[in-house]
Amino acid sequence: MNRWGEKAVYALSVISCMMLFGSVATLLCYLLIKGLPALNLGLIFGSTPVGDALLLKRQVFDGIFPAMAGTLALILLAITIAVPLGLLAGIYMAEYSGRFTRNVFGFLFDLLSGIPSIVVGLFGFSAILFLHHHVSEALVPSLLVSALSLAFLVLPYIVKTTQMALETVPRQTRVTGLALGATKLQNIVFCLIPESFSTILGGIILAVGRCAEDTAVIMLTGAVASAGLPNSLFKGFEALPFYIYYISSQYADQAELNQGFGACIVLLLICATLFILAAIIQRKVKHTLLYRH
Amino acid sequence: MIKRAMVAMITLCTALLVTLPVHANDLDRFAGLSGDLKIAGGTAHIPVVKEAAKRIMTLNPNIRITIAGGGSGAGIKQVGEGLIDIGNSGRRPSSKEIGTYGLALHKWAIDGVAVVVNPANAVTALTKDQLGRIFSGEITNWKELGGNDRGINLYTRDESSGTRSVFWKKALNKGDIALSANFVVSNGAMKTAVANDPSAIGYMSAGFVDQRLTPVVLDGVTPDAASIRNGSYKVARGLFSNTRGEASGLSRQFIDFLLSDQGQAIVKEKGFIPVK
Amino acid sequence: MSALVCCLLVLLILGFMIVTGLPLFGQSQAMDLLTGAWSPRNNLYGIAPMILGTLWISLLSVTISFPMSLGCAAYISVLGGHKKATVMKGCVQMMTGIPTIIYGFVGVFLLVPLIRETAGRGSGMCILSASLVLAVLIAPTMILFFIQSFDRVPRSWLDAVDALGGSRVQKLVYVVLPACVKGIVTGTVLSFGRALGDTLVALMIAGNAVQTPNSLLDSARTLTSHIALVSAADFESMEFKSIFLCGAVLYLITAVVILGARLIEKRGNHE
Repeated sequence: MNRWGEKAVYALSVISCMMLFGSVATLLCYLLIKGLPALNLGLIFGSTPVGDALLLKRQVFDGIFPAMAGTLALILLAITIAVPLGLLAGIYMAEYSGRFTRNVFGFLFDLLSGIPSIVVGLFGFSAILFLHHHVSEALVPSLLVSALSLAFLVLPYIVKTTQMALETVPRQTRVTGLALGATKLQNIVFCLIPESFSTILGGIILAVGRCAEDTAVIMLTGAVASAGLPNSLFKGFEALPFYIYYISSQYADQAELNQGFGACIVLLLICATLFILAAIIQRKVKHTLLYRH
Repeated sequence: MIKRAMVAMITLCTALLVTLPVHANDLDRFAGLSGDLKIAGGTAHIPVVKEAAKRIMTLNPNIRITIAGGGSGAGIKQVGEGLIDIGNSGRRPSSKEIGTYGLALHKWAIDGVAVVVNPANAVTALTKDQLGRIFSGEITNWKELGGNDRGINLYTRDESSGTRSVFWKKALNKGDIALSANFVVSNGAMKTAVANDPSAIGYMSAGFVDQRLTPVVLDGVTPDAASIRNGSYKVARGLFSNTRGEASGLSRQFIDFLLSDQGQAIVKEKGFIPVK
Repeated sequence: MSALVCCLLVLLILGFMIVTGLPLFGQSQAMDLLTGAWSPRNNLYGIAPMILGTLWISLLSVTISFPMSLGCAAYISVLGGHKKATVMKGCVQMMTGIPTIIYGFVGVFLLVPLIRETAGRGSGMCILSASLVLAVLIAPTMILFFIQSFDRVPRSWLDAVDALGGSRVQKLVYVVLPACVKGIVTGTVLSFGRALGDTLVALMIAGNAVQTPNSLLDSARTLTSHIALVSAADFESMEFKSIFLCGAVLYLITAVVILGARLIEKRGNHE
C-alpha cells in the first residue's frame, strides 16, 4: 500500500466520524435552539398554579405534567413486572440451565429482543381485544396493558444483563462460598448477586430508559391524546413520547409546536440522566444490551 | 396602555359575569357525577371535545374524560365493540354499521370538507373536474393549472377517515385517488402537512382552516360558514357522536352538554356550524 | 422457573400469530395478500407495497450507515489516539440512548424541508429522508458492534505489526479488518434487523403512501407503519388480518436475521 492509499483510508475514517458526529450534533443543536425558549414552568404545568398541580388539587390541561406523570407510572409498573421475572430468568440461565437449554433459551431471548416493538404492541392489543370479547367487557387497552407489553419488551435486556453479570463473576469468588459450606441457593443470593449487583442495576436502569422512550408499543395499547393524570390501571393514559408524536403531526399553532420541542428536551434529559446514571453504576456499559428497537 | 388594558379587563369581566350564569346552568348537569368517559374516533371533533372536556373536568374533578383519535371508522368500530363510550364520526355511520352495532347517532355540528393548498400557491380556485384529475394523478404539475412550475404533492387520509369518505363521495364523485399520495393520520396532521409543503394539496375539515393554509374555491364557492350553512358549498357533513344503544349516564350528559347553549357556543368558537 | 415462563411467552406470541393468521392461509388468500396491492375500497388487502417499502428503507439505511460506521469504528479502535478514542466511544454509547421519537421529530422539521428543497420535487417525505435518519439512528449500535469485534483481535497480532514497523493504517487494513470479517457481517445483519423493526422514523418521515416505490424520492410505507396506521377493532375484519400478516412477516424476517447472525458467529468461533 502506498502513502496515498494510507492517507485516503485515514481521511475516509475521519470523514465518517465527522459525518456521524456532525449530524447528531446538528440534531441536538437544532433541538436546543428551538426548545430552550419553551423550557419553563408553563411548559410543564400550563396555566395551572404549580402548587395546586403538584398537590393534585387542580388538573393541568395545557402542560406536559400529565404526560410526564403517565410516563412515570408506566415505567414504575413495567419495571416492577419485568425485574423480578427477568432476574429469576437470568439466574436460571446462568446457574441452573444445562448446555442445551441454555442454547435454546438463549436463542429465544435473542429472538424476543429482536422483535420489533410495534409487533409487541400489536400482540398486547390483540390479547386485550381477545379478553375483551371472551372474558369481560371491562377489559380495554389501558395503562396495565401497556405496562405488561413494555415489561415484555425489556425482559430480554434484564435477563441478559443478569446472566452476563453472574457468568463473569470470577471463579475464586464463586467457589469460596461453596467451599465454606453454603448451598447453591445461598451462594447465589449472598455471594454472586451482591458481587454483580452494580452491573445488574445498570442493566435495569437502561431498561427504564427503554420504557421511557418507547412509543410504538404504547400507541397501540392505551396511550391517548388527552387523559389527565393517571389514576387507574384500567384506563387510558398520556405519555411523553406519545405526546411528542402527537404534536409533531398535529400541532395547532406555533406555541404548541414549541411545546413539542420543549417536551423533546425534557425527554432527552430524562433519557440522558438515566443513561449516565447507568454508566456510572456499571462503569462499563455493555452495549450488547442496547441492541434493540 | 395600562388604561386600555384596564378597560379590556373590565369589559371581559362584565362579559363573563353576564354570560356566566347561563354557562353554569349548562355545566350543572355534571354536578355530583363521577366516573370515566372514553371518547375516540373522528379527528375533526377533537378541538370541540377537548374544550368541553376541559370545562367539565375543571368543574368536576371526579369526572375523567379520555380523548383519542383514530378516525371515524375506528370510532364507530370501537364504540360498537364496547372499547369506548362515545365513538365520534365525521360521516353518518352506514346503515350496516348502525344495524350491526345498534348505534344511536347524535349530530351536534355541521362541517364542510375544504380542499386546501399552501398559502404560497398561486392556484386558489379549482373546478370539481380539475380536482378529480389532480387526485387521480392525471394532472401532476401546478403549471397546468396556472401556478408555478412545481410538482403536485397529494395528501390523503386512510380509509378509516370520515373526512376522506365525504370528500371522495361529494368532491371526487367516487373517483380514484392516486397511489402516490402521502398519508396523514388526522385533520390536524393534514393541516400541518399542507402548511409546511408549498406544493401540497389536501382536504380537511373546514373548521380546521386558518391563516396557515388557503381554502380552495371549489366551482366558484368558498368553503366558509355561510356557504356551508346555506348549502351552496356541497362538500359538507355532520359531526356525529355515536353510542352503542341509547346514550346513558355520563355519555348522555356529555352529548346533552354538546347540544346545550354553551356546547354549541364551543362548536361555533372552534369554527364549526352549530346545529341549533 | 420463570425462564420457562418467558420462553413460553415467546412461543405464545408466535402461536397466537399463527392461530389468528391461519384462516388467511387456509383460504389460499395468503399469496394474494403477500403479493397484492392495498385498496380496501376494492376489497384488496395486499401488503406487497409495504414489504417493498420496508426493504427499500432498511437496505438503504444500512448501505448509508455501513461505511460511516466502519470508518468511525476504525478510527476509534485503531487509527485514533487512545484518549480521543475513549471520549468518542463514550459519545457513541450516549447516542444509543437518544429516543427514537426525537430523531423522528427533528427529521420532520429539519430534514424533510431540506430534502424537499434540494430535490426540487416531491414532498420531502420519502424513502431517502427516512433512510438518512435511520442510518444515523442505527450507526451507534453498528459502531459498538464493530468495536467489540475489533477489540477481540489478539493483542499479540497487533504488537507484531508494531514490531515490524507497520503504520496504524496498515494494522487496520492487513490485520484487523481481515480478522473481523465475521464480526462485521454479524453487526451489519443485526443492525439491518434493527432498521427493519423501527416504526416511528418511517411513520413520521417516509410519507406512508401505499404505492410500490420506484425512486428514492417516492413516498413509501413500511410494514411497521402499516401496523400503526391501520386501526382495526375486531378480529374478523380483513384489515386486522392484514396487519397480523404484517406482524408475522416482520417476526419471520427478524427470526431469520437473528438466526443468521448466530450462525455466522458460531462458525467464527470454531475456526
